[in-house]
Amino acid sequence: MSKKKILLVDDEPALTRMLRLNLEQTGRFEVREENRGTNALRAAREFRPDLIFLDVMMPDIGGDEVAEQLKQDPELRKIKYAFLTAIVTKRETGTGAAEISGETFLAKPVKRDELLAVVDELLGA
Amino acid sequence: MSDVPDRPAPAADSYKPSCVLLVDDIPANLRVLYESLNGRDYRLLVANGGAQALEIARRSHPDLILLDIMMPDMDGFEVCRRLKADAATGDIAVIFLSALDDTADKIHGLELGAVDYVTKPFHPDEVAARVAAHCKIQRLERELGQRNRQLELVRDRILHSMVEGVVGLDGDGRVSFVNPAAERMLGLPAESLLSREFADWEPVVLRDTAGIALAERREASVDELTLPQPDGSAVPVELRAAPIADADCPAGTVLVLRDLSERRRVEAKLHRTSSELNRSHRELREAQMQLVQAAKLESVGRLAAGVAHEVKNPLAIVQLGLDYLEQVVSLDETSSQVLADMQQALSRADTVVRGLLDFSRERELDLRACVVNDTINDSLQLVRHELTQRNIGVETQLAADLPDRPFDADKLQQVFLNLFMNAMHAMERDGTLSIRTHYGPVTAADLGPHARDAGFLPGERAIHIAIEDTGPGIHPANLDRLFDPYFTTKRQGEGTGLGLSVTRNIVRLHGGSIDIENRPDGGARAMLLFPPQGVPAELVPEQGEPMTRTRSERLRATHR
Repeated sequence: MSKKKILLVDDEPALTRMLRLNLEQTGRFEVREENRGTNALRAAREFRPDLIFLDVMMPDIGGDEVAEQLKQDPELRKIKYAFLTAIVTKRETGTGAAEISGETFLAKPVKRDELLAVVDELLGA
Repeated sequence: MSDVPDRPAPAADSYKPSCVLLVDDIPANLRVLYESLNGRDYRLLVANGGAQALEIARRSHPDLILLDIMMPDMDGFEVCRRLKADAATGDIAVIFLSALDDTADKIHGLELGAVDYVTKPFHPDEVAARVAAHCKIQRLERELGQRNRQLELVRDRILHSMVEGVVGLDGDGRVSFVNPAAERMLGLPAESLLSREFADWEPVVLRDTAGIALAERREASVDELTLPQPDGSAVPVELRAAPIADADCPAGTVLVLRDLSERRRVEAKLHRTSSELNRSHRELREAQMQLVQAAKLESVGRLAAGVAHEVKNPLAIVQLGLDYLEQVVSLDETSSQVLADMQQALSRADTVVRGLLDFSRERELDLRACVVNDTINDSLQLVRHELTQRNIGVETQLAADLPDRPFDADKLQQVFLNLFMNAMHAMERDGTLSIRTHYGPVTAADLGPHARDAGFLPGERAIHIAIEDTGPGIHPANLDRLFDPYFTTKRQGEGTGLGLSVTRNIVRLHGGSIDIENRPDGGARAMLLFPPQGVPAELVPEQGEPMTRTRSERLRATHR
C-alpha cells in the first residue's frame, strides 16, 4: 500500500520539520512542508496530499482562508484538512482534536500521540 | 432700613402765642387781670363765672386759666375738679386767684391739680411774671412730651425692623418691652411676655444669664442656647444680656437674641456641599483608578494573548522534538529521566500559557440555557478525587426553583472550579466545602462592594450562589487584592494569580457579581449574585446561538 501524503502548512519551519520527522518516523507517510500560506494551494495541486494541516495564524494569509479556497477548488475540495492553532486551548479541544463548527482543531503544543491519532482518524486508517 | 420714622416738625413752625383764660365774677378784677397781661404776647379770653369758664375751656382749650375761687354760680375748686376730670381739659394749667390768704385753701387748690396761686389784691407785674413762667413750663412740657413720643416712635420702628430679638427687663425682672423678632424666637406673643417675671422663663440658661445682668450689673452672654417652640421645634440663638447702665435710669436689662437657625442652615449646607464635593472627588479618583486598572487589564489581556500565541509555537516545536527523540534514540535510564523532566516542564509551561489565554479571552460568551445546579455538580465531579484525598466533605443545598437564564456553561464551570480549588487549597486537609443556591431578594448582608458596584439593590430578586469553606479565612490585608490579576498567595508554580481575576470577569460578563469575605464563624465565603433575566444585550449574540457565526468570525473574535 502506498504511503499517505500529508501537506503541512505553517509559517514556522522548525514546527513543520518536527511534525514531518514524527510523521515520517512511522514509515507510513510521505510529508511535504510549506511555510508560506499563500503557496499552500499551489503546493496542494502539485503534491496532491490526502491530508493538509493548516496553521490558523500565518503572517500572509489565515488558515481559515486557505481552507475556504480549498473548498472552492473543484480539484482540491475533496482533500481533508485540519487546523493547527495556538489560540484554541486544550480545554476546548480536550485531548486530541476538537470539532468546532464542523472543523477539526488541533491545539498547539500538540503531542506526537495526539497528532498520530488525529491523522489516523481523519484518514480512516 | 426703609421705614424711616416721620421727623418731628420743628417747634418754630408750630409756634403760636399762649392762650390764657381769665375767670372772675367781678368785672373790676377781670379788668385788672386783663390789663396786666394785655400788650404782652398772649391771646386773652375772659369768663365771668364757673359755668362759662368750663364752656370756653372746652371750646378753646387755653394753655392756662387764671381762676377765681369765690364765685356765686360755681366756686373755683369745683371748676378745677371738673376741668381735671375731663380728658379734653385735664392738661390745662390752672392758677387760682384768691383773696383768701389761707394756707389750707392754697393746699386744697394745689391738691386739685393747680400749678400755682396768686393772692388778691393783684400786683400786675407778679401776675404777668407767674403767667409767663407757667406758660413757658407748659410749652416745654409739651415739647418734651412730643419729643418723647417721637423718640418712642423711633425706638419702636428700630425694634420692629431689627433682625435680633430685643427684650427689655425692668429692675424687678419684668418684661417692659419686646420686639416682634423676640416674640417669634421665644415662641410667645408680646401680651403673655409682658409683665412676666423672668423667674418663670425657660430655659434656665436664659434666666440665669438675664439674672447675672440684673443682679450683678454686668454683661453676660451665651454663644448658643436652644429656645423651645410651642410646636415642639427649637430655635438656636445667641444671647447677650446687658445692664442698662445709665445711673439715672431705674435698674434694668436688655436682652438681645440672635437667631442662629439661618447660620446653622448655611453651615449645614456648606458642610453638605463640601462633603459632596469630597465624595465627588473621591468617586472621580476611584473612577480614574478603575479606568487605569481597566486599561491595564486590557493591555495585559492583549499582551497575554500575544505571548500565549508566541510561546505556543516554540512549545510545540520542543514538544514534538522531544517526542521524536524518544522514538528514535535508545536511552539509558538517566537520559530517560532527563526527557521525562523536560516533558513535565513543558506541560507546566503549557498550563501557564493556557491560564494567560483564559484571562485574555473573557469577552466572548457561549450562552445557552443551562441549569446552574447541574454545572455545580459537574464541577464538583471534576474535583471529587482531590476532595476525597484531602478528606474534605461536601455539603450542598441547591434550590430547585432557580429561574432559567442563559449561561456559558463552560465558563461557569471554570468559575466553580476556580472557587472550589481555592477553597480546597485554603483548607489543605479536613474540612467542609458547602455550596448553597437560592433565588430570592438581595439582603444587606449579600451586598458586598462588588455587588453594589454591579448595581444590585436591596430587595431585588437574584440568583444567589454561596460557596463556603472551613479554612483559615483570608488575611484582611489581602481582601482588597483578591481579584487583582497576578495576585496570588499560593506557592510558585501552584497558581497563575489569574484565577479569581478570570472568575470575576466571567461573572461580570454574565451580568453578575462576586464578593469574597471572611465568615464570622471562620473560613471564607464567596457570594455570587446573578440577575434572573440574563446578561446585558450587547453581550448576547444577535441571533440564535453563537455557533451559527462563521468560523472566521469566531476566529477573529478569539484573536482580539
